[in-house]
Amino acid sequence: MSELSQSRTAVAAPRRSSGLFGIDLASPKHANKLGYLLLAPAALLILAILVYPMLLAIDISFHDVKFATLSFGASEYTLANYQKLFSSPDFWNAIRVTGQLLLVVTTISMAVGMGTALLVNQQFRGRSFARMLIALPWAIPEVVAVVTWVWILDASFGVLNWILIKIGLVGGPVSWFSSPGTAFSAVTMVMVWKGYPFISIMILAGLQSIPEEYYQAAKVDGANVFQRFFWVTIPCIAPVLGVTLILTVLWVFRDFSIIYVLTGGGPVGATETLAIMTYEEAFNFFRMGYASSIGVVTLIICAVISAFLVKKTSHAIY
Amino acid sequence: MKLTKTLTSLLLAGTMMLPGAAMAETTLNFVSWQVGEKGYGDWWNAVIAEFEATHPDVKIDFTLVPRDGYTDAMITQFAAGAPPDIVHLTSFEYQTFADNGWLEDLGPWIEKSGMDLDGWAGQGACVWKGTTNCIMLLYFGYIMAYNEQLLEEGGVAVPTTWDEYLAAARATTFDRDGDGIKDVYGTGVHLATANSSYTNDVLIYVLSAGGRWTNKDGQVTINTPETIEGINRWRTIVEEELTPMGMVGGDIDQLFMEGKVALRIQGPWINGFVQRAEPGIKEHLKYAASPLQPPLGGSSNVITLASETPQEKKELAWEFIQLATSQKFQELYSELGASPAPRPGAVNEAAFAAVPHMQLLIDATNAASAAGVDRIPTGLEAQNNEFAKVAAEEFQRMLIEKLPTEETAAAIQAEAEMLQ
Repeated sequence: MSELSQSRTAVAAPRRSSGLFGIDLASPKHANKLGYLLLAPAALLILAILVYPMLLAIDISFHDVKFATLSFGASEYTLANYQKLFSSPDFWNAIRVTGQLLLVVTTISMAVGMGTALLVNQQFRGRSFARMLIALPWAIPEVVAVVTWVWILDASFGVLNWILIKIGLVGGPVSWFSSPGTAFSAVTMVMVWKGYPFISIMILAGLQSIPEEYYQAAKVDGANVFQRFFWVTIPCIAPVLGVTLILTVLWVFRDFSIIYVLTGGGPVGATETLAIMTYEEAFNFFRMGYASSIGVVTLIICAVISAFLVKKTSHAIY
Repeated sequence: MKLTKTLTSLLLAGTMMLPGAAMAETTLNFVSWQVGEKGYGDWWNAVIAEFEATHPDVKIDFTLVPRDGYTDAMITQFAAGAPPDIVHLTSFEYQTFADNGWLEDLGPWIEKSGMDLDGWAGQGACVWKGTTNCIMLLYFGYIMAYNEQLLEEGGVAVPTTWDEYLAAARATTFDRDGDGIKDVYGTGVHLATANSSYTNDVLIYVLSAGGRWTNKDGQVTINTPETIEGINRWRTIVEEELTPMGMVGGDIDQLFMEGKVALRIQGPWINGFVQRAEPGIKEHLKYAASPLQPPLGGSSNVITLASETPQEKKELAWEFIQLATSQKFQELYSELGASPAPRPGAVNEAAFAAVPHMQLLIDATNAASAAGVDRIPTGLEAQNNEFAKVAAEEFQRMLIEKLPTEETAAAIQAEAEMLQ
């Protein structure tokens, strides 16, 4: 064997051993396999912490059980939970409350978020400070913020009642959490306060990506401020608005801590959403099978709404 | 030679470490919401220290799970087949665990060890469906804490009856600066979330009128004239706004501590708030027997074993329970917990010295016990949470829609019967 041939053998050997199960992953031919291999840990993790519990919840929803177990098909399959759910006035009340909250909180949050984003998109002194102030509610941990709101809204010693009485808007203290209307208003107010900064930040990012030339061209064409807003701004940020809308809707749908800390779903079910009802059934009344059926219905509703919104809002108008 | 020396040294060191490793090989898991709590937490630490001293081969892993998420955490542990070895639960939730077959029948253990539970306060609440599921750790009666200075300002004496109590609450509800906002409330009831705290506060008034949610046979008795009269008493307090509106019990205790509530009917834990009051207020905070008799009382928390725990660990956990329920540690419980321990004769001189109002607490406990009072209605033990929510929501509806009390009582009666 010549010196040259010895050297070729020495180079070729490591190339063969570098492949997994004899596959050369560096080869363009096997590029896809490398991709799947690299994604595998994340995919397995998602399967373990997301897909498995979801499938388990769906399975439990078909069993009339008080407590869940970690295995599938632990007892006889039944539709009893769903039959009970669809004939329960509490469930339909929770659907109604969730729908109302979704409509009111999303609409007001989007309006406030848009308004504040447009405001801090303008050039003015102290703009950075204003942007920081707008983002502040988003930065405060949810439970801390809500407990503070509980004290602000307290009927006997809350500062809001004090202000309202001092400026003469109400004759006496308002018991915010004791009547259905005021409790719903209080929950709406706190959810809007907590939710609008995210919308504002998202829209602000969208606004900053609109080229100035579009506005200049619109001005040359004689468009006034409203026309520029509706024919330049809105179409350009439509994809951002769409994504923001989907995320906000899902947030309102699943939010638990704000409502639970403020009202616990009361009074008389006035703020009991599907999320609160699921928790109550699972951890207060220990009916895991029934709670899972509420969770499954919630999941389906969320999926349908998301699919609809994605289809309708994910494309730019121009 | 060097290698031989090294091996010999390693062998020697290993031989010396071996007994230590063997001695610490058993760990008992004990989860509680009272870890680190002043009083009860200190008592648990003392029991654990004594147990570990007398069982050098056993270690107790005492872990905190906050009360708010405690039930969820315990359900998860039991459902996963990994329950704690020493099980600490509240007396109103153990039934759910027992119903699922997760708790050990303690009857044979009690019999085998010769444990005497005669006269053990609240132990009856641990017997459910004919099985002894637990040992009661605390049974208490409510007392009244009051602000002497506020009663003087209102020109009333310490109330001893419902009528005097109502008069005192009216006389001590002040709007001092006339701004339309009350500065001081005569008393306080939980009016926030519709849960067992809500219904327990109504029950204080129901008991005073001779009513009950259920009788001793478990029959629902909410639409009786006595219970309706009791609900009306509570309704008077709320509708006349003699209580802060929309608050949870803990917030009212806080206001009492700050001198903004004159009368507070509460369990032994009110002492913790009184002790934290500022100088200038603290000296005016006193105790008396509840004017609403019989006092609300009841079982609080229990200790037991999990049925899935291996036999060897069950034996050790039972020894731990026996130590915690021994005369010595029950006396310490009364002293550190500032409330009478359930074991008869477990309040010693040290406890009386540590808690000057101890006799009031004992009398309240005895009064509640003699009247057979428990916060958890007989016959609705396993549905207590659901009953509490249903009843509280009906009370809320009654206040909001100004419904007749009789109508509300009839609605709760029907729903409670359906739950059974």
